[in-house]
Amino acid sequence: MNGVAVAVLVFLFLLVTVMGFAAARWRRADLTSLDEWGLGGRGFGSFIAWFLIGGDLYTAYTFIAVPATMYAGSAVGFFAVPYTIVIYPLIFLFLPRLWSVSHRHSYVTPADFVEGRYGSRSLGLAVAVTGILATMPYIALQLVGIQVVLQVAGFGGSNGFVKDLPLIIAFVVLAAYTYSSGLRAPAVIAFVKDALIYIVIIVAVIYLPHKIGGWDHVFSAVKTSFDSFNKDNAGAIANKQASGKALFTPPVAQWAYMSLALGSALALFMYPHSITGVLSTKNRGVIRRNAALLPAYSFLLGLIALLGFVAVAAGVKVDNPQQSVPQLFENEFPSWFAGVGYAAIAIGALVPAAIMSIAAANLFTRNIYRAYFRPDATPGEEATVSKLVSLVVKLGALIFVLALSKSFAINLQLLGGVWILQTFPAIVVGLYTRWFHRWAVLLGWAAGMVYGTWVAYDQASPAQSHFGSPLAKFPFTDTLVYIAATAFIINVLVAIVLTVILRALKVTDGVDETSPDDYAADIGDESVEPEVDPHGVAHA
Amino acid sequence: MSQESARPAPPRGRRSTGLWVLIVIILIPPVVVPLWVPLYDKADPTLWGFPFFYWFQFLLIICAAIITIIAYLLSVVADRKDRADRRADRTEAER
Repeated sequence: MNGVAVAVLVFLFLLVTVMGFAAARWRRADLTSLDEWGLGGRGFGSFIAWFLIGGDLYTAYTFIAVPATMYAGSAVGFFAVPYTIVIYPLIFLFLPRLWSVSHRHSYVTPADFVEGRYGSRSLGLAVAVTGILATMPYIALQLVGIQVVLQVAGFGGSNGFVKDLPLIIAFVVLAAYTYSSGLRAPAVIAFVKDALIYIVIIVAVIYLPHKIGGWDHVFSAVKTSFDSFNKDNAGAIANKQASGKALFTPPVAQWAYMSLALGSALALFMYPHSITGVLSTKNRGVIRRNAALLPAYSFLLGLIALLGFVAVAAGVKVDNPQQSVPQLFENEFPSWFAGVGYAAIAIGALVPAAIMSIAAANLFTRNIYRAYFRPDATPGEEATVSKLVSLVVKLGALIFVLALSKSFAINLQLLGGVWILQTFPAIVVGLYTRWFHRWAVLLGWAAGMVYGTWVAYDQASPAQSHFGSPLAKFPFTDTLVYIAATAFIINVLVAIVLTVILRALKVTDGVDETSPDDYAADIGDESVEPEVDPHGVAHA
Repeated sequence: MSQESARPAPPRGRRSTGLWVLIVIILIPPVVVPLWVPLYDKADPTLWGFPFFYWFQFLLIICAAIITIIAYLLSVVADRKDRADRRADRTEAER
């Protein structure tokens, strides 16, 4: 065990714990309402929102998994960069509309909007259940991120329970301050998380290549390493028992690269935790300004991805590629700075895990508990239920990672991406038009879910017989494409065809409780009041 | 949620429409170019040791951010016009 590094890690963890509990007093308000506990009072400005949304989207698992794919020799992993470029122009256009309609109608979750827009509780339920299912494994993977760091830091004892103890403690502490402070806790901790990540990565991408011999040496060393791997394993690669390694996207994988980038971009803001971050902002301008400022994180993510190559060039040898970057820190940095690096990743897991559990809890409370069991639940009752459910969700994720296999969580996260994209027609198309018939949207969703799940299950890889890859052949072709994208196309086609049929048959459509000008409303318009401080200045 | 009885009528021939169209048009390249993989899936020319595939995508991030900042500034102007129009509609309706 690396004593100095562990001490730094523990110190920084204690620091954010204190901050997490103290967050309850920040922008003081009555935390017994769901708007306050679950959306931070809908009052965050551009600065806080930048840290919160950035801390929310660029998770610890991303920071572990993206360089891991690069380290393992798949340049397709770099799709994370175009993915996070494409997303911002899109959210610039559609999220302000969601913000406006949600403010006017006090919607807390995306499923609330769908329910109101289509006048269909079952469609709201479908969106809510999809969101919860997709979020759970995502939370579990944040734990996997912490686990990887703890292993490299030397916590990997022989005794099963003692080995897992640090992870359990970290998560219990996280659950406690999320329970007491709500969304304010991750908002405060996000400052520390992002500051650490930026420092560590900027130092890493300047210091490490300099130490090893410059970026051209990094790329040529990676090329030599991959070429010799391909030569040594030529037979196995030809028999599909191993995958070839490449510095670029092979031409046959260009569609894969493109569809992964686009599919993931469309899916990202369908995740409940992203929408929670967006709805916590105080006006439309905050969202647009952030769409222009959040690409700073994309740049960071690109650099982190390349750390996978730096690890190859620096001769890091690990069996689990996910350990490559933490191991690189361990080998190349002085102990105290390796500790800062571990803390950056571990704390990086806490922020999204907190927001995700809040978002999943809000979905349960609003679209299952209130919609089906207690239609007249008070805001106080909603907040109580959400707080308890956030504990249950985190406990579930913990059991998931400790009791079931880690690859199960990764498979489910892959499925989660496929699933969550199927709510896109209900949410985003719904923001622009009510042309789709409510049952057509529901059946399109079902078609996409069934197709995506079935095809994902069917994919074998050299390592596993099911869920081997996020890619599958596009129907009637040999081109590999992201499964979520194909399922999405099927979803939309079904929705269009059925809408035409249902309209021709004059099947009753739901009542839309929104009106066109709801989608352009901003702070200062009627019934869009700033909720944190009604006496303060509405504009920033 | 409070619903007022008389909502302002939908604005007629908004002055901001041209600006919104412009915003959408300038936001098209940041979506299309990163998805056009054959354009940049190659090694040369290299820059500071980075193959083209990598440095070009980093450059795209910067360009996309600049374009989005411009779009944001345009949206501020467009929002201000929309707001003024809505206020005018409202005072007209009250009269």
